[in-house]
Amino acid sequence: MAEPPSAGPVPAQRHASQPAALRIEAAGFGYRGTTVLRDVELTVGEGQTLALVGPNGAGKSTLIKSVTGLADLVTGSVTVLGRALPKARGLAAYVPQAETLDPDFPVSAADVVLMGRYRRIGWWRPTGRADRDAALAALDRVGLADRARTRFGLLSGGQRQRVLVARAIAAEARLLLLDEPLNGVDATSQERILSALGELTATGTAVVISTHDLAVAARIADQVCVLNGRQWAAGAPREVLTPEVLREAYGNHAVDLPDGRTMLVET
Amino acid sequence: MLEAPFMLRALAELTLLALICGPVSVFVFARRLSFVADALTHTVFPGVVAGFLVSGADGVFGGALVAGLVTAVVLTLLTRGGLLSDDAATAVVLTALFSVGVALVSRRSSYTSDLTAFLFGRLLTVTPGQLVETAVLAVLTLTLVAIGARAWVFRAFDVGGAAAAGYRIARLDLALNLVVALVVVAAVRAVGTILVVALLIVPAAAARMLTDRLIAMAAAGTVLTLLCGYAGLWLSWTASVDHGVRLTSATAVVLALVLAYVLLLPVGLLRRRRPA
Repeated sequence: MAEPPSAGPVPAQRHASQPAALRIEAAGFGYRGTTVLRDVELTVGEGQTLALVGPNGAGKSTLIKSVTGLADLVTGSVTVLGRALPKARGLAAYVPQAETLDPDFPVSAADVVLMGRYRRIGWWRPTGRADRDAALAALDRVGLADRARTRFGLLSGGQRQRVLVARAIAAEARLLLLDEPLNGVDATSQERILSALGELTATGTAVVISTHDLAVAARIADQVCVLNGRQWAAGAPREVLTPEVLREAYGNHAVDLPDGRTMLVET
Repeated sequence: MLEAPFMLRALAELTLLALICGPVSVFVFARRLSFVADALTHTVFPGVVAGFLVSGADGVFGGALVAGLVTAVVLTLLTRGGLLSDDAATAVVLTALFSVGVALVSRRSSYTSDLTAFLFGRLLTVTPGQLVETAVLAVLTLTLVAIGARAWVFRAFDVGGAAAAGYRIARLDLALNLVVALVVVAAVRAVGTILVVALLIVPAAAARMLTDRLIAMAAAGTVLTLLCGYAGLWLSWTASVDHGVRLTSATAVVLALVLAYVLLLPVGLLRRRRPA
């Protein structure tokens, strides 16, 4: 494969004196010593959105899981809000794909959102009114305040995903990591999620989101990072989401359309 | 039945066990640790036998405690390091240590009666001293549950979310395995190494038929264990005294628990079919 067309421009930060929400330098990520993603160089400033795109197995989830502590940082460094891993763990909120969670687990939507408050509550203190109010407010921001007492598994896939976003909102983290939260999600839920993310970035929260939807990436992201085993390109969406870059990164999975756009075919 | 002091002590022991098995079984259920719990009951067995061989009946508690804590650590390390899959690691440790226990007990001349006691417990011979030991373990277990409950629920529901929130997953897993081991140690003399697993699995499984909430499951599991404990003691007493049928108390208690689970199954199915 050809070399990446760009090495990852670093966007200007909103406040130069504040540390970046996420800074990744010369990093390789993997599991148990085996590197599955390398040469990653990214900086996400406060209030910015980074979209991770790439084919299945490209390393998008691995990168996100490395920041949470579920996968390994093999080489390089990662800092979250100025603190390096592994000490930085706990500073970001993670939103998994709803379909990866057990729908039979006996918790209500409000219970799930309250999990976002657990670290603030601590080990001993009982859950207080302020925490419950924060959870309900977060559910309201994704349009599900009336489903607070419904069992998580009885909600639709899109609603479950919104509950998980509400959990991240309730955590009040300055960095959100979302692992393909829009996969298989209905249009209403997608708009609710994107709207909530927009509100969060407006208040300075940084967002890292992996997605297969390049149109969404182009719409919401300040920068897009194309991955496939390594970082192929990173930068503003219009600089990165070009047919040339996508063909290089996606290989045979990229198909050129007559109108000049590139369609990605998952295999 | 309760005029007999030994029956009162048995009921007190079962009450203490109900108080810890109700909540802990919820975490075993939520983390799908039934097989690990089963393994711990078996791996405690050589400790029970070794303790008995060294110090007689008084050594059983210490032997079980050491074996339970050691195997909780070993199981956590084996499954965490990825050396083996969860199931394979658990099965290897289970069978290996259970074999050691059988080998140890087979050296005794009273092999059959000792083995029966270790496997199926001696609920009716619980002493006041044993009650105190169980009470201490119950207080310790419930304290650990109160501290760890939220983190264990988060980890059971979404390990990635819990890790991102800053919880150390390996430490949480080790702590829960240790708590399960403590429950096994608390219960093993009364109900035996084979039947103790029922107290760690059935209360939550039965309570799940009644409720969708974890706290309610813990409460319902505790009440069910208590009721079934009393019912089992009554059944054992009636069978033995009134009808001359020998039925060990621990077996009767476990049978009552399983019966409760079977009777609640249709309730759970009906609740699931009901629209949200």
